[in-house]
Amino acid sequence: MVRRTTFLTLAALALVAVGAVGFGVANIAPLDVLAIIGGSLFGLPVGSEISAGATSIVMEIRLPRILAAIAVGAALATSGAAFQSLLRNALADPYVLGTSSGAALGAAIAFLLPLTGIAWELGGVQLSAFVGALASVALVWRIAGIGSGEERIASVLLVGYAVASLLAAALSLVMLASGANLRAIFGFLLGGLDGVTWPRLAAAALPIAIATLLLVRRGRALAAFLLGDEGATHLGIDVRRERRIAVALATLATASAVALTGLVGFVGLVVPHLARLAVGSDPRAVLPLSAIGGALLLLLADTVARTIGVPVGVITALIGAPFLLWLLHRARAGYAL
Amino acid sequence: MSATTNETAPYELLGAHDLRVDLGGTTILQDVSLSIGPGERVAIVGPNGAGKTTLMRALSGAVPATSGEVILCTEPIQNLSRETIARSIAVVSSDITLPFATRVEELVALGRIPHGRGPAGPSDHDRARANAAIERVGATHLNHRDVRTLSAGERQLAAIALGLAQETPILALDEPTAHLDLRHRMEIADLLTSLAGDETIMKTKRTIVAIFHELDIVRDGFSRVILVANGTIAADGTPKEVLTAERISAAWGIPLERAERL
Repeated sequence: MVRRTTFLTLAALALVAVGAVGFGVANIAPLDVLAIIGGSLFGLPVGSEISAGATSIVMEIRLPRILAAIAVGAALATSGAAFQSLLRNALADPYVLGTSSGAALGAAIAFLLPLTGIAWELGGVQLSAFVGALASVALVWRIAGIGSGEERIASVLLVGYAVASLLAAALSLVMLASGANLRAIFGFLLGGLDGVTWPRLAAAALPIAIATLLLVRRGRALAAFLLGDEGATHLGIDVRRERRIAVALATLATASAVALTGLVGFVGLVVPHLARLAVGSDPRAVLPLSAIGGALLLLLADTVARTIGVPVGVITALIGAPFLLWLLHRARAGYAL
Repeated sequence: MSATTNETAPYELLGAHDLRVDLGGTTILQDVSLSIGPGERVAIVGPNGAGKTTLMRALSGAVPATSGEVILCTEPIQNLSRETIARSIAVVSSDITLPFATRVEELVALGRIPHGRGPAGPSDHDRARANAAIERVGATHLNHRDVRTLSAGERQLAAIALGLAQETPILALDEPTAHLDLRHRMEIADLLTSLAGDETIMKTKRTIVAIFHELDIVRDGFSRVILVANGTIAADGTPKEVLTAERISAAWGIPLERAERL
């Protein structure tokens, strides 16, 4: 049952991806999309009826954007599932250790720097956001003593919250001082996939792919964490080592995702719960399904977002928040998160 | 080491030699020596805070010995990997709490983790072993229930099945009768007696080590009692030898005339 659900979600993702590349102001038929991608990447013969304009739209605008949605959705949902298992908390999301505030502050500072030309093209803002995200997690890690064997889950959550609040205050100050850049910073906070280019995608997708795949492979240890530190120890898991590895991988995936697209909320919180509804609570089933489901959800949300012209973060919040409320309503009716 | 131990222990399955455990700068256990052989049923009793749970954690490698050593399956425990330990001794917790809705069969399948390899979930073989464990404790009807909705007695059965799914020669239980009413206490005690008769994968009878507060259960169902008081072993022997009014009075700090009525 688990395998079938995972496979069907993967098939849905492939279909939606091809459809989404074709869908837009200039509609391109799915078969033409496949022909363009096949022709551009593998030199397959392309029918003469396909225009150079269509090829350019697919290869330069839509394909990188859609691959970015897939990578970021997978990274956020897998990290969210990992943090929920590690911290044994249904409310944990990929940003629980302050990643979002650190990334936002990093991006905001970069917007204020005189970045021009090559530094801008290579993603100075993205790099600064990435560094900010890693720095905030490093701070939480150090203060909460993650991996020391002495850490308490409640204090990890509280330290994460406190560091995030501090960084959010610093962000407010930077925004007040930002003048003409306020709109750009605000755009980063809302999260969006506009203007994803191949170089930026490649820079983010590589660490995302590595971290997400490795995280999915830690499912056995994360499953043991369901029973808490003591229970996991008795199942033969080196709790300190596994916690360090999982936090590092989830942070790398989340920081890379945030750097690429800004703060996309709710995907990392809601998708793991959806996956659990479908395949039960064992992380060995939840992690891979979350990766695929997160990619599918963000791709759908971004397709809606670019059709009506709003940032994708607004759409995920508009879908995610009511969905969470519905789950909580069901909790009273029998299903508990 | 008492005389009874040497007669029943052809080799040392679980042992401690001059064990001392300090936690956070405080000495919790000291001068602890014991030896448990295959097929023994051992009850650990003693007042709150005496060090019973720490002793069980030390015997299962969850806390390191400050000095002295713990022996598991004839090997010093520090020489064994965490996985090898988890394939030798299963520790059943009395308070399993889960963060998400989890079916009993999913919970019990987690017991197969020490036998697993790679990132894939429980195999068909693992599921079969987990179901056999659930059947062994008579909880097949609970298979699809969310663990968090179970009663205290049902939850204890699920916890024991989780331990059985580990397929270890030693089953250790920390207060398996905590929070249970009279009938459920008896049922768990009978189940433990019955489980002790099973042959384990090491071709010996299963060894059971369990912490209890109810002395009647210990007198009825256990051949050996270890009394832990003030961080050390105050007595080790048959229930009749260990659970005398004088020892109970001294260990728990209650008047002798009341201890005589227990």
